[in-house]
Amino acid sequence: MADKLWFLLPEIWLFVGVVVLSIIGLSKSKSLRDSLPFVTCFFLIVAFIMTPFVYSADRVADAPLLMPMLGKYVKMIVCAVGTMLALLSVGLLDRPLEAAMAEGRTRFDAIRVNRGEYFAFFLLSLIGVMLVCNANDLIWLFLALELASLPTYIMVAISRPSSKAQEAAVKYFFLGAMSSAMFLYGFALLYGSTGTIVITELRDAFTDQTLSEGGLSRLAIVGMILSIIGLCFKIVAVPMHFYAADVYEGAASPVTAFLGFVPKTAGAVALILLLSTVGWSNHHGFNVDGLPREILTTLWMIAVLTMTLGNVGALLQRSAKRMLAYSSIAHSGYLIIGLIAGPPFGLNAVLFYLLAYGLMNTAAFAVLAAFERRGQEIESLDDLAGLRRRYPVMAVVMAIAAGSLMGMPPLLGFAAKLYLFIAGMNAGHVALIVIAALNSAISAFYYLKLVALPLLAQSTPQSETVIPRPVVWPRVAAIITAAAIVILPIFANQLIKASNVANSIEQSALLSATDDLSLVEKVEDGTRH
Amino acid sequence: MMLLNQIMPMILAQAEHAQHVNVARLNDQFSWASMILWLPALSTLLCGLCAALKIKNKLPAWITVASLGTSFVLTLLLYINYSGPTIVHIFDWLNLGWTSNSQSVNFIANFSLYVDSLTLLWMLFVTGLGTLIALYASEYMESDVGKGYTRFFAGVSIFLFAMTALVMGDNLVMLYLGWEGVGFASYWLIGYYYTRPSAVAAAKKAFIVNRIGDLGLALGIYLIWHNFGTVEYSVLFEILNGDGYSQQAGGWSIHAIPYLLMLGAFGKSAQIPLFVWLPDAMEGPTPVSALIHAATMVTAGVYLLARMYPVMLLDQYALPIVAWVGGLTALLAATIAMAQHDIKRIFAYSTISQLGYMFLGLGVLTSFGAAYHVFTHAFFKAVLFLTAGAVMHGFAGQLDLRKISGLRNMPGWRIVSYTMLIACFCLAGFPGTSGFFSKDAILAQAFVTPGYGFRILGWIAIITAGLTAYYTFRVWFRICAGPVQFEMGDEHHGDDHHGNQPHAPRFAINFVLIVITIGAVLAAVPFFMANTTEGAHGGWVAEMIYDSSAIHGLPHQAAGAETQHATLLGMDPHTAMYFVSGGIGIFGILIALYLHLINRKAADSLKNALLGNSLTRWLPTAMENKWYVDEIYHAIIRAPLWIIGHALNLFDLWFVDRGIVDGIARIPKLLGKVFQPLQNGILQSYGVSMAGGAGLIAVLVIVMPDLMQWLGNLLGGGG
Repeated sequence: MADKLWFLLPEIWLFVGVVVLSIIGLSKSKSLRDSLPFVTCFFLIVAFIMTPFVYSADRVADAPLLMPMLGKYVKMIVCAVGTMLALLSVGLLDRPLEAAMAEGRTRFDAIRVNRGEYFAFFLLSLIGVMLVCNANDLIWLFLALELASLPTYIMVAISRPSSKAQEAAVKYFFLGAMSSAMFLYGFALLYGSTGTIVITELRDAFTDQTLSEGGLSRLAIVGMILSIIGLCFKIVAVPMHFYAADVYEGAASPVTAFLGFVPKTAGAVALILLLSTVGWSNHHGFNVDGLPREILTTLWMIAVLTMTLGNVGALLQRSAKRMLAYSSIAHSGYLIIGLIAGPPFGLNAVLFYLLAYGLMNTAAFAVLAAFERRGQEIESLDDLAGLRRRYPVMAVVMAIAAGSLMGMPPLLGFAAKLYLFIAGMNAGHVALIVIAALNSAISAFYYLKLVALPLLAQSTPQSETVIPRPVVWPRVAAIITAAAIVILPIFANQLIKASNVANSIEQSALLSATDDLSLVEKVEDGTRH
Repeated sequence: MMLLNQIMPMILAQAEHAQHVNVARLNDQFSWASMILWLPALSTLLCGLCAALKIKNKLPAWITVASLGTSFVLTLLLYINYSGPTIVHIFDWLNLGWTSNSQSVNFIANFSLYVDSLTLLWMLFVTGLGTLIALYASEYMESDVGKGYTRFFAGVSIFLFAMTALVMGDNLVMLYLGWEGVGFASYWLIGYYYTRPSAVAAAKKAFIVNRIGDLGLALGIYLIWHNFGTVEYSVLFEILNGDGYSQQAGGWSIHAIPYLLMLGAFGKSAQIPLFVWLPDAMEGPTPVSALIHAATMVTAGVYLLARMYPVMLLDQYALPIVAWVGGLTALLAATIAMAQHDIKRIFAYSTISQLGYMFLGLGVLTSFGAAYHVFTHAFFKAVLFLTAGAVMHGFAGQLDLRKISGLRNMPGWRIVSYTMLIACFCLAGFPGTSGFFSKDAILAQAFVTPGYGFRILGWIAIITAGLTAYYTFRVWFRICAGPVQFEMGDEHHGDDHHGNQPHAPRFAINFVLIVITIGAVLAAVPFFMANTTEGAHGGWVAEMIYDSSAIHGLPHQAAGAETQHATLLGMDPHTAMYFVSGGIGIFGILIALYLHLINRKAADSLKNALLGNSLTRWLPTAMENKWYVDEIYHAIIRAPLWIIGHALNLFDLWFVDRGIVDGIARIPKLLGKVFQPLQNGILQSYGVSMAGGAGLIAVLVIVMPDLMQWLGNLLGGGG
């Protein structure tokens, strides 16, 4: 138990942060409360620095986990992107109150301010994601997923003083509950089929089933498929994607950026853990014929439908936020390619993609979050028209983010997509890659709007009224993330190596790290030719 | 085959002889030589800095003159310290290796300098003339001081950088880098007056015509690498001179190499069929015409073939074709030059004609003659252009030789007139001048080397020499001699301080003219200089190509050549040529003297007589219209391309864009509209859709295993 707790040090540290934030959130001093986002950043940065030390080699060797090193990579990217998201949220809450105070209509009223809760929930949700990668049984997995999700419902509701946000929160909550019920039911069936809830034991049980019966039992398959579909809600994939457009549009931009990254990471990591119990054909020490055909087909259909519906839906949007919501759906479709392809290339690509998507998604929403019109945040694409003339830096950031989402070389999104597609090709899913490439081509149509409108279009009377928000931090976050999108491709090799270590199995983490170097070289060879 | 049988033993004998000298050594003692390359580059950067700082004085000119001058001094030092071919490594540039068909293949092109005597010969006049002409330009371009001035000198500096890389590079890729670089610099400087449409058109024409040649060069380099596995000179020459390689070996891809390199050389050095860009290139400022389009860049083609001489011998017909193209170009360009009125254009055609001589020299196996002619021509042609520039500068753009007369009697124009006269004597091949000796070396060799009608070429070249003397002195007698009268041009400088009076050149121009004219006169001396290397006749220049790859073209190299020595008019061709070409040169000058000084009306009546006779009318007309070459190219190349281009454009517009692209783009939108109703914002409907979707997938996957089997087979893959 102590071994397991050791790896929870970052989470425990962040939980201390939650308590501190809650206490500061009760303060009567306005300046103290204004410091909340920065306190959040502080805790996240310390957790980021702490994580590599927590995952020291000798500790990892004894860890009772399926993928012990997974936590190191995921926790670090969650802390890094989380820091940016916290900067995005500066000045988000209590906007009418701030405006009234600025005009002298009212004084600071500690009771009406709820930003303390917001940042506490913010950290709690991140803790949830981080706990997901430490999960070694289904109960833990379920609780961690719920911990990641539940705070987000409230964050959506309090993100802005508008009935739209309330409506979005309610929809999000109900549909989220439904999805949780679905994968909980799936977990129950898995337990019924194998008699265990421990992930490493599930893996052994499935191996036995495969060896003795020539395949997984029907019960296990149904349980697995229900779990996958339930988790599709977290990663915003078909058929659980319906909420995305409404919720993303209803929430404030910083929260939307949060929703695009945090639950998606939780879902993707949970899917990696779940699927590794049935195993891919080239999974370490696990000789099966690959994913069971039913599961493969399910994922295949989900991937194709998700990317197609996402891109097609995005084509019709006039609202930038709805467009990015559909784009989030489409990107989940690409992500599933990596899950289908499996280790090492596929999972490397998925983990890399989570970081890339987190950064570019944050950059795009950061631009939206940096502006307002008459105290309301901007939503429509028309608001961005001709941004370059007045705010050239933000226009360029938007262009970089959209270009990266589109997969334009040499930006980070290109490297991420390339790794995914190569993994898919290596695993032999040519048809899937062709469909994904076609989808990428379609997506250029709407992403280019995000490039062209700010940079090339003329200002309209509507976009002339857009002004920057009084706080500077969203713009800082936008510039940092855009810089990361431009610079990180140079270090793509190192990131892929890190993610390769992250998805290695069990205690062989250290042993296979050496094997994996040759695999990494193969990946590099593949990209070079 | 006749040629092959006769000259191949000679060449092979030389190759054996050359083997021991031709191996370049890596030497880090000369690492300072890389500064010859870097100084012009530095000067470009500093000029850019001047542009950024909006400097409004002559600073860019002094930066350029100083850095080029230092380059020249370093080249001199390199020459003094020279003792055999040397490679100076600067840094690793391209170093690729891979396995193909289980053989290891590599491609190495380092940023290194290959210093041998041929390199030094070229570098001496490139940097020397570059410095002097930059000094001249500091005065010539002064009316543009400010932005244009900086742009001009940045262009000159980048040209020198590229030219240095071209000449000094130790491999073909670096040569190609320089080759493209000088092409770009030439484009930059021809289009210097970018507000003038003719200048822009000329710049584009130069660039595009050169691209055709560059394509040949690029393919040639590729085939060299493909066949010999290297692009480095030292390795390449070792293979070609070595025992393991037989001259007759190899398929078409080896025999194609000389022709591709030839195409590149003809483009850069303005030979048939790619010569049309050079006359138009005179739209650039005159110092550019002097430096780039007369003295240095256009000789890059000669350099390429001289450097690649062993490669040119890979196909027996390659060098004879070079000789014929050179000879015919010389004649064609000379006839055009006779009928032009713009003195810069006359000199441009004269440049083409003289380059033709150089290729003739390469073709008839006298790389010595070609290199010597390049050397002398660089001086006297630079003087001619610079004097033309001085006239243009002083007379507000007036270049028509019918509108200026008696220049030598105008105050302040004496130096221009007499330097021009000396240069004219050189160009005309007047006995005793440098041009006389260098031209004779080529003309005589045409009668010495057997094969492929070289004797006919020799007579063509002698006739051309007469024409050259005539048109050269036509210019001088018209402009500098005769009664004083002039008409100003219509291009006035921004600071028009002289009204309608010509203003004579000042110190910088006169100084540079005198220095280069002295150079042009002294260029005759190397022919008589004793050379220290055994076995090489022909003075200093012969020594300068002795231990380079162009050694095969040295005179009287192999003993076997002496026995087959042909005769001309019963004498040794070299002796005979002194009389023949000297005589025909003087004859041309005398005709020019009569028609253009003593009795100017006679020239017009001669022309009218030719025009009056229907049988001869075509001759002056065609000559004046440059044999309609531009018009022919327009009709057979440009017009069809224009038609095809527009047809494809319409196809793209209507079929590809409107039809395919827009059609396909509509499909996703239609799909989107189909699914839109599901996204209605009602929670219950979302819930039902989700549950329905989940149910549908579960049913699809679980209840229909057969379908799954089929789909699974269809999808393939392991997962």
